[in-house]
Amino acid sequence: MSEISVNHTGSGHLSDDDLVLLYYKEPGVPGAVREHVLECPQCAASAERLARTLNACDEWVPPEPEADFGRSIWAQIAPQMADRRRPRFSGWFKVAVAFAATAALLIVAFVAGRATRGPAPSITAGLSRQARERILAISLADHLDRVEMLLTEVSNADDTDVSQFQDNRLRAQDLVDEGRLMRQTLARSGESATLSLLDEVERFMLEVANAPEQMTPEDVRELRGRIGSGSLLFKVRIIESNLRTEGQRS
Amino acid sequence: MDLGDDIAISRARRGDRDAFRVLVERHARAVFRLAYRMTNSETDAEDIVQETFLRAWKQIAKFDGRASFPTWLHRICANCSLDLIRARKRKQELHQPFEDEASDPFSQIPAGSPSPERLAQSSQISAILIPALDSLSEMERTAFVMRHYEGMGIEEISEALGVQPGAAKHSVFRAVQKLRRALEPAMSASR
Repeated sequence: MSEISVNHTGSGHLSDDDLVLLYYKEPGVPGAVREHVLECPQCAASAERLARTLNACDEWVPPEPEADFGRSIWAQIAPQMADRRRPRFSGWFKVAVAFAATAALLIVAFVAGRATRGPAPSITAGLSRQARERILAISLADHLDRVEMLLTEVSNADDTDVSQFQDNRLRAQDLVDEGRLMRQTLARSGESATLSLLDEVERFMLEVANAPEQMTPEDVRELRGRIGSGSLLFKVRIIESNLRTEGQRS
Repeated sequence: MDLGDDIAISRARRGDRDAFRVLVERHARAVFRLAYRMTNSETDAEDIVQETFLRAWKQIAKFDGRASFPTWLHRICANCSLDLIRARKRKQELHQPFEDEASDPFSQIPAGSPSPERLAQSSQISAILIPALDSLSEMERTAFVMRHYEGMGIEEISEALGVQPGAAKHSVFRAVQKLRRALEPAMSASR
């Protein structure tokens, strides 16, 4: 158990943070702090103000589920659990991939239209340059977010239960396809740093997608090592964060 | 079947579906409460409960008992909730340019304004609290919900979120600070 430090303000009174720890009865708050609140009218008033506000948060009560809620959840998940060893993507992961792929196709179509000096596709015709840049930045950030999720899962993969790797293989293949669309778009706009990262991601994802059906713990450890040695996860996070900021700014 | 958590977990780890069913039926409501407080939507919360238990079933072999089973489930539930919230935000961000360009007549209404129905249904505090919670960062909201509503200690929150206790503690501090800024003016005005 780590020690909970309590900080006094320079004025000899307790800080708001001290009072929060006290309110929640966190272990590690020295007895002297409790005594101070009892003795000091100013800190007692601050503690009362804080307690009134935090107590007010309790007025927000979630709806109470039906009595058979647990049974109804079981009824809904049980058929999906039967497929445990077969690939199963969560609903919103599939939606997110489909959505990103559509967005990527639109961007590719738009850039292709511009490059050939032909008429721009009608769906993007009304968009300003800023709006297009924003879509591109956000689509790329979304793609990298999904890459990051998979890299994190591979990094944390249990090498004693390699049977669960099939799910990762299929997701990696989806990300390869999606990444190629993104690279195609970026190649036209000449964004070299992100392009080089996408190349690196694709090489890794291809390895995951083409990993043997019967993965050994050694195979999983080797993949994990590759993520660490190239600082791939770190680079993905940095570029994703930059793109996200860029998408919000433009 | 009346199994204790420890026995049910041990059997579920070996692939016993009936034992896992006991865990689902026992913990579903607590998971729902956390999911609801993360998303403020009953439908989303139900989806998250399902996803949480599906992920738990898939990963239960990795559950090593270092954290308690409810803390472990809360961690999965918080991650599922964050995945859903992020997916929603991305979808909104991606749609925004189209709406801007289409001169949406509703675009001048500030985001997060409670609808008349919501105001009518909620108490005054909830009407201020919910947007205030929405304005917290993911980490702040999760840490605050776990600390305030779930009664989890800083250590448990740090285990559930996979961060250092200091980071969990400061997320709670920041969340409380922001919520006080939002709630206290309304509370003093109503007194």
